Order: sequence, then C-alpha cells, then structure tokens
Amino acid sequence: MISDKFKSVICKELDLDPADIEVNDETKANEVPGWDSLNHVNVILAIEKEYNLRFKSLEVLKCKNIGDLQKLVDSKLG
Amino acid sequence: MNIISLSETRTLWERWKFNAEKFPDRDAIIHWVAGEEPFRWTFKSLLETAEKFAYQLKKENVKPGEVCAIIIRHNRYFYPLYLAISSIGALPAVLAYPNPRLHPDKFRQGLSGMSQRSGLDWIFTERELEDIIRPFVESVESTIGNLFFPLEWDLEVEHVTKITAQIHASRASIESLDPVLLQHSSGTTGLQKPVVLSHKAILVHVQNLADIMKLSDEDKMINWLPLYHDMGLIAAFHMPLAFGIPSVQIDPFEWVLAPALFLESVSKERGTIAYLPNFAYNLMADKIHDEELEGFSLESLRMLINCSEPVRASSHERFVNKFEQYCFKAASLSAAYGLAETTFAVTQTEPGKAPTVLKVDRQKLAGGIVELTDDVSNIKKCVSSGKLLNGCEIKIVDDNRNLIPVENVGEIAIKSVSMFDGYRNYPEKTAAVVDEEGWYYSGDFGFVYDDELYVIGRKKDIIIVAGKNIYPEDIEDAIGKVDGVIPGRVIAFGEEDDELGTEQVSVVAETKIEDTAELKKLRIAIIRAGMGMDVNIHDVYLVPPRWLIKSSAGKPSRKANKGRIISGKDEKVWGEK
Repeated sequence: MISDKFKSVICKELDLDPADIEVNDETKANEVPGWDSLNHVNVILAIEKEYNLRFKSLEVLKCKNIGDLQKLVDSKLG
Repeated sequence: MNIISLSETRTLWERWKFNAEKFPDRDAIIHWVAGEEPFRWTFKSLLETAEKFAYQLKKENVKPGEVCAIIIRHNRYFYPLYLAISSIGALPAVLAYPNPRLHPDKFRQGLSGMSQRSGLDWIFTERELEDIIRPFVESVESTIGNLFFPLEWDLEVEHVTKITAQIHASRASIESLDPVLLQHSSGTTGLQKPVVLSHKAILVHVQNLADIMKLSDEDKMINWLPLYHDMGLIAAFHMPLAFGIPSVQIDPFEWVLAPALFLESVSKERGTIAYLPNFAYNLMADKIHDEELEGFSLESLRMLINCSEPVRASSHERFVNKFEQYCFKAASLSAAYGLAETTFAVTQTEPGKAPTVLKVDRQKLAGGIVELTDDVSNIKKCVSSGKLLNGCEIKIVDDNRNLIPVENVGEIAIKSVSMFDGYRNYPEKTAAVVDEEGWYYSGDFGFVYDDELYVIGRKKDIIIVAGKNIYPEDIEDAIGKVDGVIPGRVIAFGEEDDELGTEQVSVVAETKIEDTAELKKLRIAIIRAGMGMDVNIHDVYLVPPRWLIKSSAGKPSRKANKGRIISGKDEKVWGEK
C-alpha cells in the first residue's frame, strides 16, 4: 500500500500535485508523468533523503513497480 | 604492448574467423547482467554459435542483401545472431526495443516509416512484441516478409549438408564493397535516416580509429551504449570484434537505473576504453554514493571518450573531482566527434592527454568569433573534440556553404573515406546534405583552433537529450493535438540543464484556458502526450492566444519564443508546477 508520504515525496521530486496523480502498488515508474530514466536516480535520491536510508543499486533494479519500492522502504525502516 | 592492425581482410566474417582461429579462448564479448556472473563468449564459442544461427537463417530462406531488423533486449544470443546475419550477406539493422511508455501505435507507426524507407525484409524479435508487431507485418503497406523469434530457435538441430553448402557459397560470393549492415542516423523513430555500410567501410574506419587511439591487444572496451546507435555499434562493438580485443556489453536500461554498473565492470574487468555521452559524466559524478564504489579502481581506464553531445568542461571537472580518489586519471579524459553518415568518428583527441580546453570570449562567440579571454565573467569553456582521423577532411562554412576564416564559428562540413553512399531510399534528403564535390554538411556548429575541432551546437533546432536527438516538430505535432491547446500554436525547444549536463525539453503552448486548476490539468495532459512518444517534457509554459511570436514564414518562431521565455518574466506566461 502506497503511503501518502511516499507519494508526496515522489510528486514533489517530479513537480506534480499529488491530487492530480493516481499511484497504486501496481503503478510502474514509466506511467508517472516526468519519471523517465534520466529522472529515476533523482527520485531514488529524494526517497533516500526523506526516509534517511540508503538503497543498493541492485535492490532498486529489482523493483518492478512502485509497490515494490514502497516495500523496500518499509523493509529498511524495519 | 602490441599496437595492432587489420591485415588484408575482405569481409568482417573473415576477420572474425581469423580472430577465432588465432585467439580461440580469448574473451570476445562479456555479457554483463546486474547481480549475475557475466556470460563470456570467447571468439571461438561466439563464431560457433553464429554458425548455428546462420544455418537457421538459411533454413528460413533469408537471402543476401535482405535487411534483417533486430529488436531484442539485452540478451547473450543477440551477438551471434547479429554476426550470423552479416555472415550470409544479409544486413543486420539493430532497432531500439520499445520503451514501455511508448504507445504501441506510435511504435508501429515508427516501424512502418522505417520499413518503407529502410526497406526492412525481416524482423527478429521477442515473443512479447508479437501482438504489437504482427498486425503491422500483415498489413498492406508492410514490406516485411515475416517475424522470427530467434531466441526460441533450437540451435542444436542436425545440419543438412545442402544448407551448409549454401551458407559457404553465400559467404564466398561476398565482396569487400558489398553492404554489411544498416544503421540509422540518430533521431526520432520513423524519421531516422538509414545508412548502409560496406565491409570495406567498416574495416577501413575501425582501422583509422584504432590508429589514432593507439589500440593495442591489452585494451578492453566497456560499453553500456545501445547498439542501435553508431557510437555503440561501430566503436564499442565492431572495433573490438575486428581487432580481437574483448568488450563488456552492459544493458543500457540497467545502466541508467544503476550507473555504478559501469564503474563496477571497469574495475572488475580492468577496462581500458569506454565511450560516453556527456550527461553520463554528470550522472556518475553526482548521483552515486561512495558506499557503492567501495573497493573500485578506475586505474586501468586509459580513454574515457566523450561523444554524441557537445562536450561540457564542467562535466569533465565533476567526473575528475569525484573519481580521482578511485584512481581515475585526468589524462584519461578524451573526446571525439562522429556521425552515422561518416560510419562514426571524424575527430578524436590524443590518447594520454586530456582534451584541450579553450577559454573563449562568450559574447564574441555568440557573434561567431573565437577569441580567447581571461575575463572570468565572460568565459565560455570550449572542449576540443580532437584531430582528424586519417582519411577525413573538414571545413567550416557559412549559411551559403562558403568557406569562412579560421577561428570563426560555422557549420562543420566533412569529407571522409568512410562516408556513406547516401541515405537508403532518400535521394532528396541525401541531396540536401551532400554537395557535388562529396562534402557532407553536418548541421553541427563548431570551429577549428590549432588543428583541433570544437563542436559547440547545432544549426537546426534539434534537441539533444542524453545523447538522443529529438526533433521539435514531432513534439509540436503531438502537443498540438492535446485538448485545450490551440492547434499549430506550440513550440518545443531544448533548455540547458547544467546539473544533468544535457538539455531538457521545454514546451510553450497557447491556450484559451485561464482557470488555474484547468491549466494544471492541461500541463499534465501535455506531459502525458510527450510520454506517449517517449519524450520527457521537463517544462511546460502555457500562454494566452496570439502570445507566440511568428517567424516570417508565419509559423511560431522557436528561437524568438525561446528567448522570450528564458529572458524574462511575462505575467501572461503560466509556468507553475
């Protein structure tokens, strides 16, 4: 389940209004306006900063959708 | 260290076979996949598997001269398939696997344009694309004979002597001047211009390139560039294969999501040469945590070659600052200038020495004059792309294609022994860029200083995002169809992004909408329209009717309106996010 905080971090990084964007567990990065391969690293860094954690490249590569990324964050927060 | 050269070789297949016999157990291609042990093709195993693919191709009746489009993701069997196609005299044409965000109709439309102009005969792809491609293959306008799924082929079938004999006969009849591959000039899918190259063109070109780089048998190429791009295909795939040196091939999709992969492979494989577009220097310098780099060493890299976007001095500085601690040497910085129309490279900087950086008077440069200055408030750092390869000539010309004095900025025109014979099936486009004396007019702006070429921009309005050329007219057409945008009243242009070290796409569109909530919705709709064609629109500026300045031709002027947007605050411009 995508938390409001998680969604707002992504939207802030991509200059989107959370009210305009629908994001659920199955949403893929390429379905979110502005989340292209060039911006991907920026989104990841923004999430790391907000939650004060670090991802490994491989962990992020394994995420197939935003739900996976949320789960990765949750697992790191313990 | 042995500097190597190609012996008298008639075809690429002969050369690859020579390498397989001389260095059977040497790594040819190291296929890199994140988190896995890399798969290593030796020259011998690569050629043996290529033979098996060649057999299947003959069985499917693929004939010499036919164009075989390959649309396959990063897969170890891509390489022997590619070699097999060219070995029987057919022409491999590597096409980009569609990004998931690209709308299937847009992909089919691109493929249709390409098939008609490039004359594609067969498509080799993955089962996943069947539903998207098959309707097009079966349509009336298609030139394509069939779709094949080579990754599903049983390569271990017993070979029938008759077919094997046909393969040998095909190979024996290939001449040095026969075509060996079809590559596309960089550009929007469907509008890319096809360039056919011969065995000789490739062999001569990689020899000239190797000479200027002092390529030796101790070299190892590290590559994440897509092989549908000339820099990836010619420099990072064909050159090492022809010279019998190994190359590491990384998935471009994986690299951009995890850029540390490139550094990991350089460190583990002791890579010596790599080509990168400018934005990659920024991405790796600024966006990788040091924890990811623990234990890495870039000591082995002797040439990190910046090519395919204008080279930014600040990107090189960032890279050196970050990676000096990982044993990267500033002298390993390098730059080149190349185009698909000249097979690939035209100029290359000297190995073992960072490219020359000129401090040029920015204001005078804007007026086309190159004058050095120490006035820090007015410096534009221009990075050299190096000296001419053997067999290449350049001249700098004005709008009327007249030679202009040295140290003046103009369009770069090129003559090269590796020049294309013209765009396949596009005589009118060929005539527009090649004159009767054989000069090719590149559309790139630059100047020559001390016998070195400096490339500073484009004559046309092409936007270069991360090494990919995007035509503003394509974006304008798509955005003009978005509800709420006044048709024909849109411009798209590139805005420099210093942090990313590349350009980003901006759009200005006229609309009658005034309500803020509706304007926000329109902005998202415009960004989504860009996504449908796999273009990320970074900034959207919405303006009232009749805001856009028209050119003398009556169309909105990109240059004038870009200047108006960038230069000042206009209360009528809505650019909120």
